[in-house]
Amino acid sequence: MTGYEIRIGLEIHVELATNTKIFCGCAVEFGAPPNSQCCPVCLGLPGSLPVLNRAAVEYAIRAALALNCTINLYSEFVRKNYFYPDLPKAFQITQDDKPLAVNGLLRYYLGDELMETQITRLHLEEEAGKSIHSGESIIGSEYTSVDYNRAGIPLAEIVTAPTMNSPAQARAFLEQLRLVLQYAGVSDCKMENGSLRCDANITVHPEPGMRVEKVEIKNLNSFRALERALAYEAERQVRVLERGGTVMPETRTWDERAQKTVRMRVKAGAPDYRYFPEPDLPPLELDAAWIEEIRSTLPELPLEKEARYQEAYGLSTYDTGVLVRAPQLAQVFEATVAQGRDPKFVANWVTGDYAHLARLGGTVSAEHFGQLLDMISSGAISAAQGKTVLQEMFARGVSPREFVAEMGFTVIADRDFLGKVIREVLTGHPELVERYCNGEDRLLGFFVGQVMKATNGRAEPRLVNKLLVEALAEGRNWQPRAE
Amino acid sequence: MISRAEVVRMAELAMLELNEVEIALYQADLNRFLQSGAELRKVNTQEVRLSSHVGRASSRMREDVIQRSLPQEKALRNGPCVVDGCFRVPRVMEDVR
Ligand SMILES: [Zn+2]
Repeated sequence: MTGYEIRIGLEIHVELATNTKIFCGCAVEFGAPPNSQCCPVCLGLPGSLPVLNRAAVEYAIRAALALNCTINLYSEFVRKNYFYPDLPKAFQITQDDKPLAVNGLLRYYLGDELMETQITRLHLEEEAGKSIHSGESIIGSEYTSVDYNRAGIPLAEIVTAPTMNSPAQARAFLEQLRLVLQYAGVSDCKMENGSLRCDANITVHPEPGMRVEKVEIKNLNSFRALERALAYEAERQVRVLERGGTVMPETRTWDERAQKTVRMRVKAGAPDYRYFPEPDLPPLELDAAWIEEIRSTLPELPLEKEARYQEAYGLSTYDTGVLVRAPQLAQVFEATVAQGRDPKFVANWVTGDYAHLARLGGTVSAEHFGQLLDMISSGAISAAQGKTVLQEMFARGVSPREFVAEMGFTVIADRDFLGKVIREVLTGHPELVERYCNGEDRLLGFFVGQVMKATNGRAEPRLVNKLLVEALAEGRNWQPRAE
Repeated sequence: MISRAEVVRMAELAMLELNEVEIALYQADLNRFLQSGAELRKVNTQEVRLSSHVGRASSRMREDVIQRSLPQEKALRNGPCVVDGCFRVPRVMEDVR
């Protein structure tokens, strides 16, 4: 692949998180019985007229601002004409040459490198209905069933400049885009439900800047599919070029099972859609004050948060990455740190046990979580006990203080008692003691673990460590002896 | 002037099957539309701003409040073939988008 320049652009569709459709008051709930959230407007019945949903416009503006776009105070809706059963009116209301927003920019990390990609435009449009094809693929089906519940859900279409140079970069871009849109609160961005969808276009240039035809890839339903389809396609195009062939402009689809792209049809040129102004909707004229109002409610975005965590709290890139990618974890972290706790200590617990348990379901309030951390850091309970308590907090919503009192959790810091346990552990493993005495220092961890096990995790670990080192040093010639 | 080939192409895009008589008919009709349009060229529009819409209505928007949808059976009433709550149509050979 060396010597070739790859250029990738993405076209992303995001379902906006409104309560109702873009041009009618039908609900947009996912998973309702088919055709139960439809009315004359979204079924395209004659005589019905669209009325624009203010919230759809607001969410689209939020998305555009979060992507550093310029909002056009004047934009227009058009009809894009094509025949397909999922499009009840036989045209889609969208925006063409006067879109809602243009000239955005998204910054993101590809590994450790900060990248940026231009957002060419963001516009509003309506979603199509859902076609359910009988049989395995579109081509093999006997008939098609159509559900118009989805028809008319507001979409923001986001188009990037074709400037990404690798499949991995395209994936990193899309992951960051999703995160930014989630932070902005404009969509749940669930690729598995189709509320975030991505098409890609890719060109492979034998020499930088050389003109070649563009191939589009559709049906990219996951980050992995995006990366793999682009990698497959780049290799395929290189093979065509190496054979002295020409890459044809076409639309291909990602076949997940076969793990390859397959040709869909010869690409239709724009004139075929016969765009013309939507006569039923006046131009969209926006008030600059409204846009500023929306801007003022945008939260801190992921990249800013990441920088702040590293600067203000001195967290590692790993910890900040985990926190920033999971806004609910970031929220718990900040609320817990806000009460003056050690950021690194809190981050360890949040990105470790808390994150793990939260993934399994449920949540624990920052207040209770803070109380638990205080008990651990003050030595009132051990870290091992803390893990158990946190599990119970997630499973049963218990208060940490009450639970610890109820269970009689205490830390064993009794030197005599621990001394006795240590002696038993060492007596039980004479060969290991000998190896330790001969210089295998790393065996200390094993002895600590045995003592913790013997005390059900209740021993104070720092004290165990200290006593063990002392006991073992007592004689590097320590000999097992009877009591 | 609109050619016969252009009429055929438009019919294709609109998924209309036209016979020779109809092609001739629509070719003549469409050309009459164009002639009417050409009349407008006589009007001096130098001072007139380009616009896409009639009138100056500004965007009226509705609040994001759920309204009752049609009952499913009513939504499906006009479907020539309805199965399991869905409109059923002949199979789609290719994604034409
Ligand atoms: Zn509706």
